[in-house]
Amino acid sequence: MINYLLICRSLTYAQRTAKALERAGIGAAVVRIPGSIRTEGCGYCVKIPENRLSETLVTLQKHDLSPSRIYMMYSDGRLWEVPM
Amino acid sequence: MTYLDNAATTLIKPREVRSAVIRAMDTMTSPGRGGHPYAMRAAETAFKCREIAARMFNAENPEHVVFTANATMGLNIAVNSLLRRGDRVLVTGYEHNSVMRALEMRGADITVCPSELFEPESAVMAFDRRMTKDVKLAVVNHVSNVFGYILPAERIGKMCRERGIPYIVDASQSAGSVKVDFRALGAEFVAMPGHKGLYGPQGTGILLCGGRAKPLIAGGTGSGSASRKMPGWLPDMLEAGTHNTPGIAGLSAGLSFVEKTGRERILEHEKELIMTAAKGLGGIRNVTVYASEHGFAQAGVLSFSIRGMDSETAGEKLAGRGIAVRAGLHCSPEAHKTAGTFETGTVRLSVSAFTGKRDIYRLLSAVEDIAPKGGKG
Repeated sequence: MINYLLICRSLTYAQRTAKALERAGIGAAVVRIPGSIRTEGCGYCVKIPENRLSETLVTLQKHDLSPSRIYMMYSDGRLWEVPM
Repeated sequence: MTYLDNAATTLIKPREVRSAVIRAMDTMTSPGRGGHPYAMRAAETAFKCREIAARMFNAENPEHVVFTANATMGLNIAVNSLLRRGDRVLVTGYEHNSVMRALEMRGADITVCPSELFEPESAVMAFDRRMTKDVKLAVVNHVSNVFGYILPAERIGKMCRERGIPYIVDASQSAGSVKVDFRALGAEFVAMPGHKGLYGPQGTGILLCGGRAKPLIAGGTGSGSASRKMPGWLPDMLEAGTHNTPGIAGLSAGLSFVEKTGRERILEHEKELIMTAAKGLGGIRNVTVYASEHGFAQAGVLSFSIRGMDSETAGEKLAGRGIAVRAGLHCSPEAHKTAGTFETGTVRLSVSAFTGKRDIYRLLSAVEDIAPKGGKG
């Protein structure tokens, strides 16, 4: 199972992002940024399922929302940054 | 006790507010502080409150809704963000000390735009005449906390926009009853308390922000924590320190109550009570009432005075008869100077969605009881 993590600048931004995705029928959860990719200290990101990334990006663009970075998270916890 | 001091704090709250506060105290910690269920529940509560406020006051999105401890804090953030020492600032003749002192403390060159009570056109003209090129900021009290006078905030806002003057609105007495449309006001900031017409607990407030904000205090925000600098984004940049989660939960329930009941319906109810009070007080010998004709440009606040009796004495006498009102200058000396009541102050009654006609009749009976009977009416 692979998920994507959308890194957000703040908790409220992550919540706005998750809300916009949920309204578009995309399951999204606000979670803490994993330690290994926490470059700016504490923060939150939005976790979405793998097969919804393109749909997610279209939805976010529509709402003028843009994550600062996107990571692919493998089931074993490995993370790989998706070039934007 | 008959409670008629809702302009200070609404005492009777919807039942849901109390339950929300208790639930938050039992099950929530602080938003942005951890990923455990207690913190995440708090985060959801805070976001829900921001969402309702953004919808109710037409803010761009929930990020533009900042939690404060009260309207005073919001106004201080707003003034601190826009004012430089020596800047010329226009204010109405009805400002509260939360504005006047915030400006004075930061070295503003304050110009009061005095205007007739309950004459919105006069306020527009007063601003129009004084909006010269050197004006750097304008602040408007949406509804006077002394007289309930609804000032033409949207019209003044339009004039400010046309002339490129940043604009702050104090919505302390309007939020929850009079329409507060952030985008229509065209303000950089709109500050409001949570504990008055929004029926939240004391210690809560909302600041609607346009974007040119500057932190008033610095500290932890739960975001960008590797940096010594405050984050540059809303709402975090203005919310340093642990949130008042029980307060926010209660405020959210209060906002929901207003939304469900209907702001217009609340205003209509309050206006009816105020007109009843004005009519009744006007018929009592030696009582002067400061009311607008047919309730025009007046919200749920009414001032009156009793001839030959200091307003504080009148307030005490009413309290002795089971009526809670507010007497004196109401932290708004400017409003009293404008209306000519500075020397004596006034007795102020203010209503809420939970005030009934019976409360007004009790007040009328008590005033009739304490007012001197002789002399000219």
